[in-house]
Formats: sequence, C-alpha cells, structure tokens
Amino acid sequence: MGSNLHYVAVDTPIPTSEWANSSDIERLSRLKQALTTQKPLFQEVLKIVSAKPDGQVIVCLKEQLPPNQRGTVLLDLEEFLKKVVDPGLVVWLDALGDRNSLRNLRGVEVKG
Amino acid sequence: MTKAVRTREGALILDSHKLSYHYDRVEAWEAGERIAPVSVDMALTRACGSMCSFCYAMMQESQARSSIKTQHALNLLDDFAEIGIRSVSLVSDGESTLSTAYVPFIQHAASLGIDVGNATNAWEWEPEKIEQVLPHLTWVRFTVAAGRPESYANIMYKGPEHTTVFDRAISHIKYAVDLKRRKGLSVTLGIQMVLMPKLKDEIIPFAQLGLDLGVDYAVIKHCSDDEQGTLGIDYNQYNSLHEFLEQAETMSSDQTKIIVKWSKIKDGNKPSYKRFYGPQFLLQISGSGLVAPSGMFFNARYSKLHIGNFAEERFKDIWKSKRYWRAMDYLASPSFDAQTMMGTLPIQYYVSVALDNHAKGIQRIRPETGLKPLHHNFL
Repeated sequence: MGSNLHYVAVDTPIPTSEWANSSDIERLSRLKQALTTQKPLFQEVLKIVSAKPDGQVIVCLKEQLPPNQRGTVLLDLEEFLKKVVDPGLVVWLDALGDRNSLRNLRGVEVKG
Repeated sequence: MTKAVRTREGALILDSHKLSYHYDRVEAWEAGERIAPVSVDMALTRACGSMCSFCYAMMQESQARSSIKTQHALNLLDDFAEIGIRSVSLVSDGESTLSTAYVPFIQHAASLGIDVGNATNAWEWEPEKIEQVLPHLTWVRFTVAAGRPESYANIMYKGPEHTTVFDRAISHIKYAVDLKRRKGLSVTLGIQMVLMPKLKDEIIPFAQLGLDLGVDYAVIKHCSDDEQGTLGIDYNQYNSLHEFLEQAETMSSDQTKIIVKWSKIKDGNKPSYKRFYGPQFLLQISGSGLVAPSGMFFNARYSKLHIGNFAEERFKDIWKSKRYWRAMDYLASPSFDAQTMMGTLPIQYYVSVALDNHAKGIQRIRPETGLKPLHHNFL
C-alpha cells in the first residue's frame, strides 16, 4: 500500500478547545502574532480576513497570484499555521461569485 | 462489474465506475506511484448561453479566465497522449461547442486514439458541426432539464415563454439520432435530467421525451451543491421521488433505456469517504484553463488546490510538477475531509467510493478481463 493510503480512515484534526473558545479578536491576534514573529513574508502577499471557531481561516491575497504560485503559498501557510498555532486550522480564500451575466439573472449568491 | 444496463450496443455503466478495466493504474496507485489520470473532464470555455437553475458552474469562478486558443487545446491533447490519458469528456464548467477549438479538438483527439465524450445543451450544435464531430465521438449527452418545452425553458433559460431554445435543441438531437442511424456510427446518444427535488412532475415527461427522440438512454441524476448549500438542495426530499423514478425506469424500451443514478441519489450529501483519491484517476480542468484536482475546487475559495493553467504552461509540465502531486497528496492526507470540505457528489464520486473501499479492504477492485462495457475509458 502506498504511503498516502495509510490515512484512509484517519480523522481530520479539529481545533483545540482553546482555539474554539477564544474570541474572534483573540484568534486573529494569535494568527497575526505567529506570522509576524515567524513568517513575515506571508504578510507581504496575503491578509487574514477572519478566523472562525471551527478552524476555518479565511485569507485574501494582496495581489493576484498566478495559479502555479497561489496553491503553493496557501498550502505553505496552512502547514505553518497547523504546526505553530493549532492543528485543526484550514485555510481558504474568499469565495468568488459567478461572472456569467446571464446566469446571474438567477440571483444565486455563492456562500462564502 | 456491477450495475451495467444492457443496451442494443453493449453494456452501459452510468451508475458505477470502470476502474476494473484500468487495473494497471489501480496497482500503480496502490504502490504509491505517480500515475497519469485515466480520464480528464474539461471544458474549452467557461461561456454558456444557458442559465440552468441547477448549474454548478455558478460556484466555479476562479480568479481569472484564460482564453483557450485552438493551439493550446491541441497541445493539451498531445500531452495527454504522451503521458497516457485515455479519454477526455467535454463537460466541466462551460459549453465547449461555443469554442472555436471544439471541432479541431475532437478530430485531433480521435487521431491520437483518445476517446472523446461531450455533454452539451445542443443549442449551437448545428448540422454542419454535428457532421464534423459525431463520427469521432464515443458519446454525446444532451442536457435536457425537462421533457416539456415550457418547463425546459423555465429551468434552462429566461422563462417558460422562451420555448424556441427547446425546439432548437430537439431538432439538433433528432439530427444526430438520424445521422447515427444513417451512417451506422458507434456513438452513444443520451439525454440527461439534473433532478432538483422540486422537479418531480418533470420526471415522467422527461422519460417519455427520451423514448420519443429514440436516443440510447435518458438518465436522471441528483443535483450537486457546494458545502455551504448555495443552491439550497435538501437531499432528504429525494426520498419522496423514488416512486416516480421507479415508474420512469419501467418505461425503458429496446431502443431507449431510462436510467436513474440511484447511488448518487441515495447517498445524498455525505460520502462514505474522507480522503479524496478520485482526482488521481479522473482529473478536471476548467474552461478558464485552470487545472485543479476537481471542478469543486475551481472557485477562488479553494485556491490552495489550484495547480496551474494549461494556457500558460504545458500540461505535461504541470502534471510532472511538485505542485500537482502536493495537491493530490493533500487530498489523500488527514488535512482534507471530503465530507465537510467540498461540495456534494462530484464527478469523481463513484471512483472515490471504490478506491476508498479498496484501500479500507471493504471491497477490493478486481481486474476485469471479459468483454469491455461501452465507454470503458471513461471512469
């Protein structure tokens, strides 16, 4: 069995109670402190938008990065935050809505 | 292989997978090798003239759209052939018939020995275009949201009064059915209804339309939604439709099989798997040129899983890159939970269930050596 199949039945880590029970401000502060003190380079390309009790960390990019770069940056960020802040953190970008003007007549709004 | 429907032209598997016919890849994957996908699902554009109320493309917007030129599309096929991809389906997040690359893409794929399938609304699929591509296609699946013109126009376009779109689609489908018969083509022609729970009264008219058209099958499938529930699909409501779906299946004739994708409808919004192995076998590419493991990751939200754009760099280089395999490994790691971090019932659903069961030892995939089913290169 290949090495990556060993995780087939492993549970995904969830945030610690310390993270889940913190306030929004405290969670954001922990993230910003970790980035400022240990990985300031991340803050040159992205900004933390929100940090939810369930571990979702929403970020936005300060400048658009091509697809062959943005994946690497964001996976690096998630790996760093899991290791340094909380193992249950998961990084996402803000969702984008449909640019198709015809379909937009339906009024469906993508939930972020 | 299970769940095959007998048609006049062979066994048709729509509600399961065909990994048993690609056991070489399964063995290599299990041994930890970096495998080429068996199949790629893609679009040649993000554009579409329809506005289907069930369309997942509404949730698939990424940061930028690259214009896919014909040369990009032909290079892509050359790369597919070089690394061992066996089939391409033009479905994904756009109406590929609108692209200038559409006809040359299909003809070039056929010349390389890559099987091609196509899902289309058929609105811009006119006789001249049909003549150019049909002999080279393995299957064509027409999106037909409902069997009645007014309902069709209401679901797929601006309102029930716009029935010209229905008439146009039906005339093109009839042309293809007739051309297939006249020329004895091996292509399979089907229509598909994406069933939202509120559309139960459309089930029987849809099945009847399939019979009237004389297509090879009419399939009814679930509606996918993202994990935030953007489309508001209540999967519990599908239970109340079973009676109508069973009735539709009994309408099958020798010529036209009415098929319900029961597995997806019954599994609802929570898959049995946490790890997402399917994309290693069935990769998706957006009509924006974006390469990501699954169409459910095209939206900017999932940018960490964006790998590259084939209009900006050669696909074979993307496939060989660390980025590609880092994304695939992430989906196979505890960091990713398919039950909570992605939309429901992706195109890789059947393959992912089978690979998960295989890895857990619940049901091992076995090689098949008998007569191959129709479209065996499409998983």
